[in-house]
Amino acid sequence: MKVLSKLQRYGLAAISCGIALAVAWPIDAPASCFLLAVMVSSLFGGLGAGLFSVAVSAIAYEHFFLWRIPSPAHEPAPLLRYTVFLAATLLTTGLMEMKRRAEESRNRAEEDLRQAHSDLARVSRMTTMGELTASLAHEVNQPIAAAVTDANTCLRWLMRDPPVVDEAREAASRTIKDATRAAEIINRIRVLFKKGVPQRDLVDVNEVIREMVVFLRSEAAQYSISVRMDLAADLPHVTGDRVQLQQVLMNLMINSIDAMRDVDGTRDLTIKSEPQENEQIMVSVSDTGVGLPPQQAEQIFDAFFTTKPQGTGMGLRISRSIVESHGGRLWAVGNPSRGTSFHLTLPIKDQADE
Amino acid sequence: MIAPPVAERYFTSMVIQTKAKLVAIVDDDELMRSALQGMLKSVGLASQAFASAEDFLKSGQHQQTACLIADIRMPGMSGLELQAKLNAEHCRIPTIFITAHGDTKMRMQALRAGAVEFLAKPFDDEVLLESVQAALEN
Repeated sequence: MKVLSKLQRYGLAAISCGIALAVAWPIDAPASCFLLAVMVSSLFGGLGAGLFSVAVSAIAYEHFFLWRIPSPAHEPAPLLRYTVFLAATLLTTGLMEMKRRAEESRNRAEEDLRQAHSDLARVSRMTTMGELTASLAHEVNQPIAAAVTDANTCLRWLMRDPPVVDEAREAASRTIKDATRAAEIINRIRVLFKKGVPQRDLVDVNEVIREMVVFLRSEAAQYSISVRMDLAADLPHVTGDRVQLQQVLMNLMINSIDAMRDVDGTRDLTIKSEPQENEQIMVSVSDTGVGLPPQQAEQIFDAFFTTKPQGTGMGLRISRSIVESHGGRLWAVGNPSRGTSFHLTLPIKDQADE
Repeated sequence: MIAPPVAERYFTSMVIQTKAKLVAIVDDDELMRSALQGMLKSVGLASQAFASAEDFLKSGQHQQTACLIADIRMPGMSGLELQAKLNAEHCRIPTIFITAHGDTKMRMQALRAGAVEFLAKPFDDEVLLESVQAALEN
């Protein structure tokens, strides 16, 4: 419904009543014509204009039509008709207003739903990021410590008598390199936190996998996990939201790392990508961790299901809904030897629901 | 703990006059290796850097190393595992650990196994240099 100004709305009401009056006079049908005017006014003008037209109609009806045909005294019919007319106009105005309010609340609900979706996506990113905080603190501390050392070295060269400027210059350059590296690490986090609308771009999934492996490198090193990538060359690009796909891969890889933390024996994290028939690609994330009892293979995707003391239980649930919104599937299978493999398929053509 | 600004500190003329004693650096982070080598050079010490504990052991340098500066968390063999290995071979190299994850339990473990010092990153390089000097003079 277009938003009309107050003047336009009341003007509309007045004009409708005017037209109604002009039409009603010759055909002597005030009730129908004014009722029409009231309907038009409240439908297009809102509650205020509707009530205004009710008032104008009531006055016009009373003035021009009520006693037009003289009736015997104590004849209730014209007055009754008038009363019924008033009731009808007020009811009409009321109904129109209710319809308008219902529409408004439905629009608001749709908007709230859209907002909730985007908030959920952001929270899921933060949850995943919360899990990475310790690893990132470690990673960013390295270049900062190196910068402090290099800057002190620079000063030490300058405090010699005479100062050794060449060495000092080298040390200062190293300091800049260190600080730049720290900034790069921080930047990587910022990209994942950005609040944005889901994009639909062509995404090279192999590149996303490589990025996530680099991102989680120190986390994996911390638990002496060796990471292997078995990526198909010329893997077709997928239409989807790059940041969301990064999230899914990060979630799967963190889960694998967590599953292997306390395990004896080899700790291998393998990520494989390959094209499939029927225009799909498949990505598999496998670990040699604690493994999965078969009855839990579906349960782990439930909201709030977690085996971690600090877990939120939302990671896999959100990952699956992201994959499904891209038109793919995500599922888990226990490995025959040891550990679990997560498989996800993604269509090459855009089959995502909006 | 980060060192206070230079103006308030007293830089000893730390040009350590010793025989050509080799300091070994083991850290998987390239920036850290360059920083430590630069630091040692500025006090007149020769050093050799290794990207992993395995590289260090494979090089055979551990026989001539007079002091070892090592990170703890590394892919592959950790710093503590390296220490254990050297102890097992009766290769008593004075070791200084530097790490971004410095919890007290780890510190106790390292010191008990014979480490000279255990520092958290970012470290005060004066403290590190004093430890290196102490290690070299023994």
